[in-house]
Amino acid sequence: MATQIDFARLSLMDALDLAVLIEDEAKERYEDFAAQMEQHRTPEAATFFRLMAGNEAKHGQELADRRSQLFGGLTPTVTRAMIFDVEAPDFDEARAFMSPRQAMKAALASEVKAHAFFVAALPALKDAKVRALFEELRDEEVLHQTLVKAELAKLPPDSGLSDDDFVDEPAAQ
Amino acid sequence: MSATCEFQAKDYKSDLKPIWCPGCGDYSVVQGIYRALAAIGRPPHEVAFISGIGCSSRIPGYTTAYGFNTVHGRALPIAQGIKLANPDLLVLAAGGDGDGFSIGGGHIAHLIRRNIDITYIVMDNQIYGLTKGQLSPTSQKGRTTCTSPYGSLENPVNPLLYVLAYGAGFVAQASPTDLAGMASTIEEAIRYPGFAFVNVQSPCVTYGEEAQQIKGLKAISESLAAMGHDPADRLAAMNLAQQYGQKMHLGVFYRNPEPPTTYDALVRERQALLAKDALPKERILDLFIKK
Repeated sequence: MATQIDFARLSLMDALDLAVLIEDEAKERYEDFAAQMEQHRTPEAATFFRLMAGNEAKHGQELADRRSQLFGGLTPTVTRAMIFDVEAPDFDEARAFMSPRQAMKAALASEVKAHAFFVAALPALKDAKVRALFEELRDEEVLHQTLVKAELAKLPPDSGLSDDDFVDEPAAQ
Repeated sequence: MSATCEFQAKDYKSDLKPIWCPGCGDYSVVQGIYRALAAIGRPPHEVAFISGIGCSSRIPGYTTAYGFNTVHGRALPIAQGIKLANPDLLVLAAGGDGDGFSIGGGHIAHLIRRNIDITYIVMDNQIYGLTKGQLSPTSQKGRTTCTSPYGSLENPVNPLLYVLAYGAGFVAQASPTDLAGMASTIEEAIRYPGFAFVNVQSPCVTYGEEAQQIKGLKAISESLAAMGHDPADRLAAMNLAQQYGQKMHLGVFYRNPEPPTTYDALVRERQALLAKDALPKERILDLFIKK
């Protein structure tokens, strides 16, 4: 996770724009992951990643609507280049033939990462409204973690096999 | 990066779905290229993206630019021909470490000495991934692969030092550990007027070693800008480049502060000069026919 944001100077409009960008980035990453899984014939993980992409899109739209109500069409000052992997799972979290459990664990790790981002930013915030928004977003990440954990709990018990159990040692050609 | 450019990253994304292994570093490289191209703002039809053979060489197909997935190791000569034939095109070349430093290793020196305005992005994963994990020119000594079952006896090529030694005017390194940094590095390389080289440490999730995966790379990453490195200092760049394989320095190693005239510009000048005394097209045969 990386950002180039001066949190002390963040206005409410910037903060909302930032939150929308974070959700957009996560949505796109989940869509990419779903496409990778579909391409590699792993439909269960693909379905879960599509679900996550849908959730991120929904949250992003809610935030965009709030931003629009408060600030109309004012030009944003924060850009996508200022954030990286805040709520989006890391590129290398995707794996060939991921089980639904692995997919959900990747999503859970991303929700934990996003929570850590908002927690870490809070001490630097000066604007009370921005602080309130970040606290709200932080708490939402906890809720998302609970939802993913609930999905994980519905899965049948783990087989205990790891990827290494399916890999051959290199052999001379 | 500019927030007001006319094109967005998605404008450079084609409908073709990548078939790289899930988790491959190349997914982030193509994202970095989309972002860099959007920041440059040239329409896709003014961009030509040339590659060789290998996993990473599939990349032109995933963009909306004109693309040519050529033959193994030959991305650079073909990119050079395209640039000379149509100097107005923004020409990118890409490939893996094997394509660039083994099969096509002889071409880099000549593009560098000619200083053709091409940006060459090497996705360095230290392995031949497409053919299922053979030793590549940047594989570490001692590496066990299917072609080195007892461990490699060879020293790896150092791509950064290689291109710096031949006199490349722009040399940088990026990695999927910092996508925003990668995008701005590629953007800077494209903006450099001359041959620009970007080595991207792009992990192979299937045949790469654990230490070469993103989490491992994060542990050895260091930003050249944060270190206070002066990219105009070529000797300092060469000194830092020697740490390839131990440290992963990210950003611009070297940018020639006084870029020389590019070969494509010199060719244009020469053509303009010769055109004055050139025979008209209908009299060209006169040069070969004795009267």
